[in-house]
Amino acid sequence: MTDASRTVLEMRHITKRFPGIVANDDVSFDLREGEVHALLGENGAGKSTLMNILYGLYHPDEGEIEISGKPVRLGTPSAAIDAGVGMVHQHFMLIPVMTVAENIVLGEEPTHAGAFLDLGEANDRVREISERFSLAVDPKARIEDITVGQQQRVEILKALYRNADILVLDEPTAVLTPQEAKELFEIIQGLTAQGKSIIFISHKLNEVTEVADRITVLRRGKKVETLPAEGATEESLARLMVGREVLLRVEKGPANPTDLLLEVENLHVFDDRGIEKVRGLSLDIRAGEIVGLAGIDGNGQTELIDAMTGLRGVAAGTVTVAGDDVTTASAYGHFNAGLGHIPEDRQRRGLVLEFSIAENIALHDYRQAPDSRFGWLYPRRLIERGARLIKEYDVRGGGAQTRAGGLSGGNQQKVVLAREIDRNPRVLIAAQPTRGLDVGAIEFVHRRLIEERDEGRGVLLVSLELEEILSLSDRILVIYEGEIVGEFSPDASEEELGIAMTGGGRGQEAAA
Amino acid sequence: MSDLETPPPADPSGLGPEVKQSLLGRYDVAQKAGGLLAPVLTAVLAFAVGGLVVLVTTGKNPLTTYRAIFDGAGFNWFFPWVTGDERSIAALNMQQTLILTTTLILTGLAVAFAFRCGLFNIGGTGQYIVGAVLAVWIGSSFQNTNSLLHIFLAAIAGAMCGALWAGIAGFLKATVGAHEVISTIMLNWIAVFVGVFLFGLGGPLQNDTQEFIPISNDVVEGAKLPVFWGDPLLQGLHVGFFVAIGALVVYWLILNRTTLGYGVKAVGFNPEAARYGGISVSTNYFLAMAISGAFAGLAGAIDILGWQFRLSTNDVSGLGGGGVAFVGIAVALLGRNTAVGVALAALLFGGLLTGTSTRNLDPEIFKPELASNLTLLIQGLVVMFVGADLIVLWLMARMRRRKPA
Amino acid sequence: MTSLALPLAARAPRGLRTVAWIGIALGLLGAWVALPPISSRSWVWSLVLCLVAVMLGAGVLIRGERRFGGFAIAAGVLGFAVAYFATVSSLGKLDTVVVWSALFAAMLRYATPLIFAALGGMFSERSGVTNIGLEGMMLMGAFFGILGADKLGAWYYGLLVAIGAGALMALLHAVLSIHLRADQIIGGTAINFLSLGLTGYLYIDIYGLEGTPTDISGIPQVNIGVIDGIPFIGEVFGHLNLMVWVALILVPLSWVVLFKTPLGLRIRSVGEHPRAADTVGISVYGIRYGAVVLSGMLAACGGAYLSIGFLNSFSENMTAGRGFIALAAVIFGNWRPFGAAAACLLFGFSTALAYRLPEYSSSAAVLFLALPYVLTLIAVAGIIGRSIPPAAVSRPYKKS
Repeated sequence: MTDASRTVLEMRHITKRFPGIVANDDVSFDLREGEVHALLGENGAGKSTLMNILYGLYHPDEGEIEISGKPVRLGTPSAAIDAGVGMVHQHFMLIPVMTVAENIVLGEEPTHAGAFLDLGEANDRVREISERFSLAVDPKARIEDITVGQQQRVEILKALYRNADILVLDEPTAVLTPQEAKELFEIIQGLTAQGKSIIFISHKLNEVTEVADRITVLRRGKKVETLPAEGATEESLARLMVGREVLLRVEKGPANPTDLLLEVENLHVFDDRGIEKVRGLSLDIRAGEIVGLAGIDGNGQTELIDAMTGLRGVAAGTVTVAGDDVTTASAYGHFNAGLGHIPEDRQRRGLVLEFSIAENIALHDYRQAPDSRFGWLYPRRLIERGARLIKEYDVRGGGAQTRAGGLSGGNQQKVVLAREIDRNPRVLIAAQPTRGLDVGAIEFVHRRLIEERDEGRGVLLVSLELEEILSLSDRILVIYEGEIVGEFSPDASEEELGIAMTGGGRGQEAAA
Repeated sequence: MSDLETPPPADPSGLGPEVKQSLLGRYDVAQKAGGLLAPVLTAVLAFAVGGLVVLVTTGKNPLTTYRAIFDGAGFNWFFPWVTGDERSIAALNMQQTLILTTTLILTGLAVAFAFRCGLFNIGGTGQYIVGAVLAVWIGSSFQNTNSLLHIFLAAIAGAMCGALWAGIAGFLKATVGAHEVISTIMLNWIAVFVGVFLFGLGGPLQNDTQEFIPISNDVVEGAKLPVFWGDPLLQGLHVGFFVAIGALVVYWLILNRTTLGYGVKAVGFNPEAARYGGISVSTNYFLAMAISGAFAGLAGAIDILGWQFRLSTNDVSGLGGGGVAFVGIAVALLGRNTAVGVALAALLFGGLLTGTSTRNLDPEIFKPELASNLTLLIQGLVVMFVGADLIVLWLMARMRRRKPA
Repeated sequence: MTSLALPLAARAPRGLRTVAWIGIALGLLGAWVALPPISSRSWVWSLVLCLVAVMLGAGVLIRGERRFGGFAIAAGVLGFAVAYFATVSSLGKLDTVVVWSALFAAMLRYATPLIFAALGGMFSERSGVTNIGLEGMMLMGAFFGILGADKLGAWYYGLLVAIGAGALMALLHAVLSIHLRADQIIGGTAINFLSLGLTGYLYIDIYGLEGTPTDISGIPQVNIGVIDGIPFIGEVFGHLNLMVWVALILVPLSWVVLFKTPLGLRIRSVGEHPRAADTVGISVYGIRYGAVVLSGMLAACGGAYLSIGFLNSFSENMTAGRGFIALAAVIFGNWRPFGAAAACLLFGFSTALAYRLPEYSSSAAVLFLALPYVLTLIAVAGIIGRSIPPAAVSRPYKKS
């Protein structure tokens, strides 16, 4: 750490309002040279908003910003870049069909003869910076062909190419394996040793305590406290983040798995590009248990779920639901065989937002009695069922004929749950069921899933949040590169799971 | 933060459906929000701009021009103070307007139905032509058949052929994802050329008795639709009008009371969710286009059986430049793809087209050829305003200001 | 036989493409063998050549290179069909219809307006804005070209006015699509309506029912005297209109701009991932506006060529769907300048052929005019492999 007392960035009394919400409420934040300063908070606490203001994507309603002592107006990303601010976004701002070098030099392209693109020069410059900061990448590779960890390095290089001294990393480990995250922390150390200052946005307590020098906690748009990382514990930070005692695990009784409800045998599935994503995968789910499927995004979960629910063709292998072979059945056939599916993206895949709640609930069954007969629809029956389920699942925000789009995220997810569960499926597949929901809604979903397990259904929980998997599952399967590489009990540690998720320790059955 | 996501892959032609979904979604909100207000305002705005064009280019008072068009359309027939000769002229005009309205209702429904499924059917012209061709062929063959049966056959054949023609585009969309805008436009032109071929000199369906005129045979008396208002010899209003009204009812019923309509709407609003729900997106694309084409084909058939009675190559090639089927697009958009909306918009445009025709517009007030291009301009303005949602956005902003956030 | 050749080539995709090109060439050769000047009367040679073409194409296709494999198969099949029909038709008719030099010259003439519009459409789509209004902008160019040439006395004034008119219409489309975030297809359709109505209105208002005067200054031909003697080349290239040459030059120029300049890189980035471009300081709106206005100007050039370069007159709706064919060419050519131009040449060739085929049957002559539209339909149906558009095309961009 170089000159620890020099302040390179000061954001004072920043306030930013959006319609209906104050995203940042009088937040003050400073950054010292060579430090790693973590910005901690729940979803919606205002971390990303604050950083977007720093990067010129938003304009604050009140407050000033000073960089190295000089007041600055950051009206556009260009202004921020000129002031030495670089941002590595959570969802990468990279163009898949272009090469690493093209992405890095975009906007400040080297030219020869003043008019023509000099890609040779670009490749050289990229190679030079990547060596200087030990961020190995191939300048000529296309983004869509490299790994997520490498893509993140390209994002960092983009900022370094533009001489950023202040680097903002927005939830950088969200898409990384535990190993890649460790590499990232090493990279961060290397960068600070060279004088760069880093703002690290996260909601993961363990990372923040490991990598940061100081931690600023935001809650509901306000700054709660800035404290040194030494001496901060996960519990104390959690309390600051949420404002109350947080139950990190959900309460549930033991499982009693009985009949085999879902059997997947030696499944082979290809994705749209013809790449085999599921390679001889087998799993089974019994009545009365929750099976968690852990894995890094992109290891075949999506294709597996698509194949299991009839949305994608199966190249080889079988899928059996309660004794019926549904391998070649349509999605509709799967639903009729007793499968329930809570899809990953409730707004894009789970609901037709312009339909009413009642119409959404009828999405699978509208072609059957009592909703319709011989093609003739009976809207009143849809409305009746909708009203009943709204009451049963305590859906707030409207009646059976209200547009689903007018509900909050949590209530929308309740509608999806209601629809799937009311049909009495034998097996329920829940993909990222609590993504983007607030704490109260998450609690509801978790409780409901456990209730369904206790009623004798089989639940497959596919999630990218290890915490959720660990707290809900009776059995944990790890998927890596299209195969099940390990089965664990819920007592397993995150490290064990992490190792399996990256393909290490294969063949070891780490049972209880 | 959802707006930082990378976009999902689009269909092979790059003319993606995602944007149209939001358009349907915006309509939907507008329906509940503005109701009748938005379409009325859109129409008023379009006419206002049209009037401006009139003023600027010809120096004539747009209000007198519009008044002349109004009378020429026969709308003054509704005024009880109009009597005598003026009244009978108005009646005649109103019959003409309603004849056109019949066609526009059907072509408007065609476009509207496809829109409900998220598809843009610009192929009304081609579907209309094939419907007309079938109707004129069947209508001019089979002498001495039961009138009702004959008419029924011809109309159904026309509708089926229209469904088939649109079905080609629907099939391509459903199987390889070919964008329906380009495929239907190509099918339009192909239909035009096929029609010109069929009725051209030496063509297979050319008139049996007049070998130097490129025209079809006439529809036989028994297959002509009876006229119920006005004089058959002066092109009175025929019962096809009721077919159009019936079509409106059928449209509403399909969309709101059948499982087919549910599927079509679901796919139109959110094809992803529909797929995940177990609904076949490609089947619905095909069916929506086919039903859409059926409406347009029926329009062609009704026109032939109702007042045209024959097709010449000029008729066919004239349609290529944008005839009644083309206006259907503006009708559907202005009518916000609803049955009531389409009916009213069809009446408006029917009146506009009649009022600006050579027969009904006094050249002293405004040149009719200019006027027909004026109607094209107004259609374009309507489409533009609807597409840009200007009115809707303004209305929504006003509504938000009234309600607390 | 072919399976021996393929494994070597199949190591690299570039090898596959070369094999596919060989297949395409063989298919074309198979057709050519039966046509003048060789006019083989037996279709056996053609069969052999085309069969090899199909097999090569199939081999390439199976190994993953679908587009070019499909092209080779198509070349083989169509080539044989052409050869067969050539062998069963009389030599006399064949000689009248298949006059290669006349066909190629006509192909260039018919393709030129398409090339202008297609290049424009390509830039617009590459920046992420779908431009269905190319047809309308072309029509504006056609009318205002004649108007300008007539009222201002010379063809270059006409061309300038045409470009201006196209730019204005495109500006309207840009505002609708970019700032108002309207549905780009509906917006484009509105542009077409407006253009049709506006040009028809002004045409009747200014020229009435007599039509445009017959002595308007037209865009001149470029007469290259030196090559007149050379058999094929002289006839095809010796007397082409200036605009044809401009179009031909614009194709490689567009390629250089799009792929070899920073501007091209930025245009492409805006079309693939506008937010990524925004975060490095590129003006998404600015680039899109520029690309759309450029597309209008280019389409108008195509229209102006039609009216003051080719036909020397204007009639209502004279573009007759060419703008849409140009858009299909862009898709067919995979949003690349040379690909789109090649598609335009193909469509131009089919039109040229269509005008000569009446030799065979005058009443069916009209059907042959539908050929370019049928080809477009086949192209868009993606039967010859799918194309991948710019990822963000037709999605409006919202700055927060």
